[in-house]
Amino acid sequence: MKEFKKGAWCDSINVSDFIRLNYTQYNGGAEFLSGPTQRTERVNKRVNELLVAENEKGGVLDVDNENVLSILSHEPGYVSREDDIIVGLQTDSPLKRGVSPFSGFRNAVAACEAYGYKLGDEIVKEFKYRTTHNTGVFRVYNDTMKKARHAGILTGLPDAYARGRIIGDYRRVALYGMDRLIAEKKADKAMLGERDMSEENIHLMEDVARQLEFMAELKILASQYGFDISRPAENAREAVQWLYFGYLGAVKEQNGAANSIGRISAFLDIYIERDIENGILTESGAQELIDDLVIKLRLVRHLRTPEYNELFAGDPVWVTVSLAGVTEDGRSMVTKNDFRFLQTLYNLGSSAEPNITVLWAQTLPQGFKDFCAKVSIDTDSIQYENDDLMRKSYGDDYAIACCVSAMKVGKQMQFFGARCNMAKVLLMALNGGRDEIGGTQIAPEGKSFEEKPLDYDEVIEAYKYYLSWMAKLYVNTMNVIHFMHDKYAYERLMMSLHDTEVERLMAFGISGMSVATDSLSAIKYAKVTPIKDERGIIVDFKVEGDFPKYGNDDDRVDEIGANLVKFFYEELCKTPTYRGAIHTLSILTITSNVMYGKKTGATPDGRKAGEAFAPGANPMHGRDAEGALASLNSVAKLDYECCRDGISNTFSITPDALGADEADRIKNLTTVLDGYFAQEAHHLNVNVLNRQKLIDAMNNPSLYPSLTIRVSGYAVNFNKLTRDKQEEVISRTFHEHM
Amino acid sequence: MSTCNIHSIESLAARDGDGVRCAVFFCGCPLRCVYCHNPDTWHQSGTEMTAEKLANKLVRYKPYFKTDGGVTFSGGEPLLHASYINEVASILKEKDVNYMLDTSGCVELTDDVKTALQNAQGILLDLKFYDAEKFQKYCKGDFAKLQKFIEYCKEIGVRITLRTVIVPGINDSEEEIAKYAEVAKYINPVKYELLPFHTMGFFKYKELGIENPLEHLKALSPERKDELQKYLDGLMAGK
Repeated sequence: MKEFKKGAWCDSINVSDFIRLNYTQYNGGAEFLSGPTQRTERVNKRVNELLVAENEKGGVLDVDNENVLSILSHEPGYVSREDDIIVGLQTDSPLKRGVSPFSGFRNAVAACEAYGYKLGDEIVKEFKYRTTHNTGVFRVYNDTMKKARHAGILTGLPDAYARGRIIGDYRRVALYGMDRLIAEKKADKAMLGERDMSEENIHLMEDVARQLEFMAELKILASQYGFDISRPAENAREAVQWLYFGYLGAVKEQNGAANSIGRISAFLDIYIERDIENGILTESGAQELIDDLVIKLRLVRHLRTPEYNELFAGDPVWVTVSLAGVTEDGRSMVTKNDFRFLQTLYNLGSSAEPNITVLWAQTLPQGFKDFCAKVSIDTDSIQYENDDLMRKSYGDDYAIACCVSAMKVGKQMQFFGARCNMAKVLLMALNGGRDEIGGTQIAPEGKSFEEKPLDYDEVIEAYKYYLSWMAKLYVNTMNVIHFMHDKYAYERLMMSLHDTEVERLMAFGISGMSVATDSLSAIKYAKVTPIKDERGIIVDFKVEGDFPKYGNDDDRVDEIGANLVKFFYEELCKTPTYRGAIHTLSILTITSNVMYGKKTGATPDGRKAGEAFAPGANPMHGRDAEGALASLNSVAKLDYECCRDGISNTFSITPDALGADEADRIKNLTTVLDGYFAQEAHHLNVNVLNRQKLIDAMNNPSLYPSLTIRVSGYAVNFNKLTRDKQEEVISRTFHEHM
Repeated sequence: MSTCNIHSIESLAARDGDGVRCAVFFCGCPLRCVYCHNPDTWHQSGTEMTAEKLANKLVRYKPYFKTDGGVTFSGGEPLLHASYINEVASILKEKDVNYMLDTSGCVELTDDVKTALQNAQGILLDLKFYDAEKFQKYCKGDFAKLQKFIEYCKEIGVRITLRTVIVPGINDSEEEIAKYAEVAKYINPVKYELLPFHTMGFFKYKELGIENPLEHLKALSPERKDELQKYLDGLMAGK
């Protein structure tokens, strides 16, 4: 019988050592893959029926409004008792959503009501005597924080919903079993108990105590399904099941904005390879395990309010699974299992979840690159992130949380921080600190620019002043939020699957980067004259002459954007963070670029009031006139060093423009990805489709039940987007062949 | 250093030659094809650029070219600017970037044109028509010039990809395709691709205030294009 190679992982919790010693590289193509088994087809058919029913009921199939969702809140649930090979659901029935009022009680009430339910009396009563995260935050928010939030300069903050973006190292459950993990945690706690009882140490000790409670409960959860996870997994099926129990416990306990599952493919492949070699598993059986795991991941749900859906459209959970990558000593980490995860998109049909993320490196085997490109072209369901770039900061056992946030699995966690609207800060600078829509004085009063051509240097000076002010406010606001989140909605189970002394990242974000950049370019290279209304507030601009626009590989404007991002990041770093977190920054908007646009007045680049921003770091729609590569080159100039939380770019191209036939398209897409990432670009969503198809899908949704597209950092089912978001997606630049 | 008016640049032109390419569209054309979809390139327009500036811009796309990709000079008729192209090409060559020419072949064989052809990775020859009468009728083209051009290309052995736009009612029949195939066999291309006539350039006629002789024509259906391509492939294989 084949056994695992022993090493450092045996003596301490060290999953990455286990992987490096035991995984089997695969350098071939996709020809070994298996289709769905009959069992998989039966289960998938049932799932598809449930999804149709959910859609017909307006997006929510069922709600348990009487029990607060928790690890042990519900009896075991199954898609099919006879057919499930990987078991476990959040509640006792598939797609039934539980309520989780810990991060915000009013949100829980509103979310129930939005779908025709009333939060149960028992819960209402209990939460009368409980402080939620949301209550805590608003006890401390100062007036400026509230104003900035209300005006939409700081938006999407996790102050009324759970922060998410924390990846438990669910692999630990399989590799070590819970008893070993509990013993290690207890030892950590004992060690902390010997230290001086500083506030910091007491805080950490209480965290560990809370983690231990939930580790015990996870064992009970598994036993309810008939499994004993106190010991390590002994075969592939158990490894998948154990790992999934860890994840399931986490999503039963937490309804954070993104609940990603991490980097699990090579890890699970080790068990699969061993079973295949020992003759107890076939390729078809291996694929079936991954198919069934992915089915379960596709069923994860949380109950959200309509306001939340405005920010994060399409009901995403961001069960991001990170594939491929290269080890620090230069070996490809592509295993057969990385292919199997991609194959689920064929076996089960395309889908937004899990959010399949390929960690792209120049040296990945060509067979894998080609298969990725093929899957992208066929399904529009995967995203690519630059492993060669991230490996420098995060090593070779990091994973992506949500869309573009890298973190070392089990060693780093993130304080998620939504984003600041850069375009609005520019308008605030021009209006002497007043909000251009409401007219409120938000920032300190400054000079309001007159109705005469704007002087670039004067504008930059004012903008920098307000950006500095904003950065300080932003960090302090985040400190309040995450203090309260730790206090009232701490992620006990997820954090129990981290090292006790974890490194924390505080992830700030910006939106409207391309609008702000083009606006500054317009002020510098064209003649821009503000137009004021009767309140004396600038509500529009007269723009005379042309100016270089971000997205055309033109340094004159691209440098303005790169410098703007760098400046803001450096300003953020000047204010200390809660728990000594490392400042990071992302340029990512999810789908909230539509909402940010609505809340922003006309801008000097000629964008009208209310018009949607471009998503993430994308150039504004239609302004990238020199084609796809010019657009990619502009985005590639943004420096990852000051955007360690990711730079999102969404790329849409028609099949015709990509190549004459499938073989050409595959070859050209891998070439474009290599070329983009060779320039140290960070992320790319790839859509290969026709605009006409989307227009047709918008008008005839029933003909396209599973049309999946990539938006900013994740995939959505196109039908789940609201009309205004569908229109925004359609208005984006499609690189076409004429 | 020469300058030239560049009509536009399409940084990802994956259909205009081998691999991932960047296409440069020049202004000016000796032909007036009735089905032209780029009438906006007939006359001088766009941005003036020195050869060095254009070359530097193109080299920026080198990470995407790998071994077979590169630059495609198109138009308009790029070979009207052969001396400028040769200047750009010499800089590209230093940076190890190849180029292809997308031409109608209806140009004088000047020394500059010959140099441009000799140094090209290959040419995309737009074979408009197979005889002097139709070439004159539909394109106002001089067939004798094209013949000399073809002879020269054969002589230097430059790789030729042939392309022909198929226009409904003009050359969309099997009989027509057979005549093209006769000429094509003589040219001996590495590939011969039919391009369907489309109406996406119609708006340009309106914008430019030029009469569009095919205003009421519909695009060639992809199905018909595929049929004709298959027929052509059969004829070419039988050579």
